[in-house]
Amino acid sequence: MANTAVIDGKSSWSGGKRPMEASYGKLMMWYFLLSDAFTFGALLITYATLRVSAGWTEGWSQANDVFQAFPGVEALNGTPLAFVTLMTFILILSSVFVVRAVQEGHRMNQRGVAIWMFWGIIGGIAFLACQGLEWYGLIVHEGMTMSYNPFHPETGLKNAVFENGHIVKEAVSPGPKAFGNLFFLITGFHGTHVASGVLINVIIFIQTLRGVYQERGHYEMVEKVGLYWHFVDLVWVFVFLVFYLL
Amino acid sequence: MSHHLSDEQYKSQKRAVWRATLILGVVTLVEIGLALMHYNDVFGMHSLPKSILSSFMIILSLLKAYFIVGEFMHIRYEMRALTLTILVPLIFLVYGVIMFMWEGSAWLALRKLWG
Repeated sequence: MANTAVIDGKSSWSGGKRPMEASYGKLMMWYFLLSDAFTFGALLITYATLRVSAGWTEGWSQANDVFQAFPGVEALNGTPLAFVTLMTFILILSSVFVVRAVQEGHRMNQRGVAIWMFWGIIGGIAFLACQGLEWYGLIVHEGMTMSYNPFHPETGLKNAVFENGHIVKEAVSPGPKAFGNLFFLITGFHGTHVASGVLINVIIFIQTLRGVYQERGHYEMVEKVGLYWHFVDLVWVFVFLVFYLL
Repeated sequence: MSHHLSDEQYKSQKRAVWRATLILGVVTLVEIGLALMHYNDVFGMHSLPKSILSSFMIILSLLKAYFIVGEFMHIRYEMRALTLTILVPLIFLVYGVIMFMWEGSAWLALRKLWG
């Protein structure tokens, strides 16, 4: 009997028990997030591979040059990484607000869940707005697209043809094309996750206001959606690391 | 699944979350400081080599990930078996990072060789 778990005189295999003490929905959310982690992992590994092969610092656009704009605040324009710091803090706080909503859900506090969910949604929308401004600046003011990257590293002009120190033939794209391409792909994919997360959070918010979960007797939906929302924050930690920090 | 909390549990959980928030915020600021240090002369420490700065930033990011997954996503309080089924497969990502960085450096070596 050593390897047959018996609880309350019943075998674990006789049905009616939750595997690993988690509900079906929560377990499946976790495994979905695991698969999503592999998708983001693959994208970030692609970025890192191309960057290593071009020369991590000497052959690549530098975050210091690329991310200098601070839309809306003239005084901070030209401060590298300032705007993305703001975005990171917005996303962390939004995540925290949803944690608070989950905690209030455990206490069956309908009002508390609604209030914190509301702030979580506001944070998500603020992040998306910031990302929109960042993209707008890069595309419209700097001219970065999926196939053109104006931010050349010191050696980025290698593709151009020189004669007596003067450029005879311009490079097709001054900086590595892959930088712009992967930037829009990966931050766009993350932004899509944020957008769908906001949408799902809004649905949960409305359901909370309507008292659906109060009637059901538990707020597990808030917990499951919260997992997704924290995952979006988790992915941002690594997007932030490879695009803005390293 | 409503495990109704006692006031004391609720308060200690609340405290744990705000503590994690504070840590995440401070770590993010330190990361930004390290990133800027690479380009500019911050605190007169420009001489720190990039590899050391990068290692610090990677370690700090993993620390942030630990707090988000452990505290916010509550995995520290889940059953061990659940935690393992989620975290162990991520070994493949570690494998991927190592193999692709290795291969990427080989491409760089070839580019340098052939121009």
